[in-house]
Amino acid sequence: MNRVTSGTLHPATDREVAPSTAALARAGARDMTPMVLGIVPFGLALGAMMASSDLDPWAAFASAPLILAGAAQLTTLQMLEAGGNPVVIVASALLVNLRILLYSASLAPWFGGVRLRLRLLLATSVIDQTHFVAVPRFEQGDLDRRGRIAYYTGASVWLVGAWLGSQTAAMVLGAELPDSARLDMAAPLALIGLVAKSVGTRPAAVGAAIGAGVVALGAGLPFHSATLVATLAGITGAVVLDARRRHDVETPS
Amino acid sequence: MTAWLVILAVGLGTYAFRAVGFVVVGLPAWTQRPLAFVSPAALGALVGGMLLTGHGHAEVPALAEAGAVVAAFVTVRRTGNVGRGILVGFPVLWALTWLTG
Repeated sequence: MNRVTSGTLHPATDREVAPSTAALARAGARDMTPMVLGIVPFGLALGAMMASSDLDPWAAFASAPLILAGAAQLTTLQMLEAGGNPVVIVASALLVNLRILLYSASLAPWFGGVRLRLRLLLATSVIDQTHFVAVPRFEQGDLDRRGRIAYYTGASVWLVGAWLGSQTAAMVLGAELPDSARLDMAAPLALIGLVAKSVGTRPAAVGAAIGAGVVALGAGLPFHSATLVATLAGITGAVVLDARRRHDVETPS
Repeated sequence: MTAWLVILAVGLGTYAFRAVGFVVVGLPAWTQRPLAFVSPAALGALVGGMLLTGHGHAEVPALAEAGAVVAAFVTVRRTGNVGRGILVGFPVLWALTWLTG
């Protein structure tokens, strides 16, 4: 991923010559581009599905901006079309989205001190991709609060725009994707790149492996809960291993 | 009408999840370490769900898919560039699909 260095002349001081807000927003968008390539095929497929469904087309179309999360949107629309119990549909979709709570908790501290109204606005785009792109960038530690807001906003606008645009285009044009191109693999190929970047330490690598293993074993879990269960299992495994490593370091045998 | 209400409820609930961290100020210190592992664990689960499951149970991925994912992983480990991983992964996918097809 491209990385905007802070453009500083004096890295040791606080009063740095910072890159402009627009430059940081562009950097956020640029770093988000691989994720955009990953979600557009999914957006096109969802849009095509909505165009051919029996649901009220306006309600189906509104689900994209209202839910702003692909897996839960797909779950909701499929269950609605199948005529499921409304309460069960809402519960299932929210269970699929429960992981967003974790992303919110891990992103929010980077926006501490921002006024509430802006924080509530920034929260609208909390999702897998914004979390995975922004948090590692913030952890490099060279962006101030203003820079983080600009970077996050640039990344979010590009992602959300492409997501809503791809669904709208497919719904209006009724686009069909050629199966042979295997564009459905764009999302896993984008995400595996993020895996490669996020497994720098052994606990992180073990957490990712546990997440993948548990989701496969738990594929049949009710209400599409396998992803959430696997995520929590991966976090637990990583924390336990991390604590043990720290313990070993502190008490050499 | 039901469709509208259901979609609205899912949207509102999802936004509540998004906003929780941003509204509750000052998370307790013990949350720091688990939160650091949210990314790898969630990514592993998401990619695993895409590649290792199908029709509601565990599944071995096709050789072409596995090869493409490994190629993308290695590329990103070497270059640190996620976009390049996708650019390498697709030709590998197409070539292996053609070879094994």
